[in-house]
Amino acid sequence: MGLNKRPSLLLEGILFLAALAFLFPVVFLLEMSFKEPRYFFKPFELPHSLYLDYYKSAFRDMDFFQGLSNTVLITAGALLLTIFVASMAGYVLSRRTERLFRFAYLFFLSGMIIPGVGSLIPLFRMAVDIHLMNTRTLLVLIYTAGFIPFASFLYAAFTKSIPRELEESANLDGCGPLRLYWLIIFPLLLPATGTFIVTNVYGVWNDFLTPLIFLNNPNRMTLMPQIVQFMFNKQSVNYGPVFAVSVLAVLPLIVLFAFTQKYMLRGLTAGAVKG
Amino acid sequence: MSLSRKQYWIACLFLLPAFAIFGMFFFYPFLQSIYYSFTEWNGIKAPRYIGFDNYRYLFQDVQMLDGMKNTLKMVVFGLVVQNPLALLLAVLLNRKFRTRGFLRTSFYLPVIISLVVTSVVWGEILKFDGFANGILTHIIGEARLQDWLGTVYTSFPTIILLTQWQAIGYCAMIYLAGLQAIPTDIYEAADIEGAKGFALFRHVTFPMLMPSVTIVLFLTIVGALRLFDLPFLLTNGGPGSSSYTLFLAVYNAAFKNQSYGYATAGSIVLTLFIIIVTVIQLGITRRREVEL
Repeated sequence: MGLNKRPSLLLEGILFLAALAFLFPVVFLLEMSFKEPRYFFKPFELPHSLYLDYYKSAFRDMDFFQGLSNTVLITAGALLLTIFVASMAGYVLSRRTERLFRFAYLFFLSGMIIPGVGSLIPLFRMAVDIHLMNTRTLLVLIYTAGFIPFASFLYAAFTKSIPRELEESANLDGCGPLRLYWLIIFPLLLPATGTFIVTNVYGVWNDFLTPLIFLNNPNRMTLMPQIVQFMFNKQSVNYGPVFAVSVLAVLPLIVLFAFTQKYMLRGLTAGAVKG
Repeated sequence: MSLSRKQYWIACLFLLPAFAIFGMFFFYPFLQSIYYSFTEWNGIKAPRYIGFDNYRYLFQDVQMLDGMKNTLKMVVFGLVVQNPLALLLAVLLNRKFRTRGFLRTSFYLPVIISLVVTSVVWGEILKFDGFANGILTHIIGEARLQDWLGTVYTSFPTIILLTQWQAIGYCAMIYLAGLQAIPTDIYEAADIEGAKGFALFRHVTFPMLMPSVTIVLFLTIVGALRLFDLPFLLTNGGPGSSSYTLFLAVYNAAFKNQSYGYATAGSIVLTLFIIIVTVIQLGITRRREVEL
């Protein structure tokens, strides 16, 4: 497709304008968080000074750091637990051929097709019965359960590229299976771990529905439902503080995105291999 | 115990944690939901078996019906409009533009923004005296301005358009990854054969891209059927029930009206929907995938 030719300037100009349009809402978000109340309702007016009151109000009227720490804990917990259990599962799924493992493969495959929606209502009742309602642990377990199919297949695909001779020689050296796995295999699976993290961290951090259903204690709340509650509780129609909180909640992801963008593309290809 | 027996049991232990968590927090609740969908159950009294009554009632309930209609619209839009656009964007982003890095980043950045923040931003842009109408006054005239999210005929189409802000970039990135995985010597061979332009795309690029097409179509369909956050936050299904999605109707039936049995019936319909569409789609696209 003319891979070596430079495409026309006109085409580039059109794409450039489209890109600006896609970027606009992000700029708008930032702009509104600094816009003085006087100009807030004038859509075409830019902020006149560095107005920080919305940020002050965000920290004063909402427990931002509580929300942030809950979000960080739940996100890190879900990713780490998934990496721990799914890497081991993926490893044996790709190495063993017995009936049990082929069954487990199909079992996990069902999780790729059945949507999580169906499980939410019985999960809600179960959480009440086993007294896990309103706990961060419950969220970690629910996210992990949802990630296990994708993550196991990802690890299984990466395990295939590790030569079996490695395990055989380690066995001869008298290395036990757990040490063999954690000291030799798991480090080799690091690219899979990286792929899993950069493609899934956003989903947990940004999730609104699961905390909405399973957390209603303000001390356990994550950022997304917190923002929504903050918005609904606002007496005035000036959403400046809501914009400020939104900027703060998005900022860590943008920083992460800036550093991991190139790995993300690779992660998506890995996902495509599994399909 | 022999060594191979021992290794078998150790492998089982490796599998066990993932098996247990997935089984307990995903699969078992799913099985339960099948049972609950045949019961009347409000969460307080024990579930009572009522056969197919929940399912019959689903098809008389305006919110569920509007939800199904809108969900179907979203699926069709995703397949017919969003996909070709994303593919086109990916093909373009694969070319050697001077500002390629900037272009890629701008289209992909929206993907990492949460739907909650998306709702905050777009809610403000789209309100009646907001930014969008400020611009549209000059284009279509003041008389044609609408409260885009607050009018029966425009609320759901507006939500569909909003999903594109993230969906196009997301799908384009997967296509782009697929395009980059196509070996260049195939293009060289095609060049020698004299294939050019659209013919080259149709006979070389597109068939090689089929695995990505399978993934993207799958994600498009599942994403469309799970549409919840935007209508929940921006319109709450309204005005009337014009912007309900099936997912939102299920959520409201369960967590607003405490009709858990009825809501699970709705979620089973949604599940069947996803399974049927996925199987059809996989059947069509998988057959066309070519092996290297």
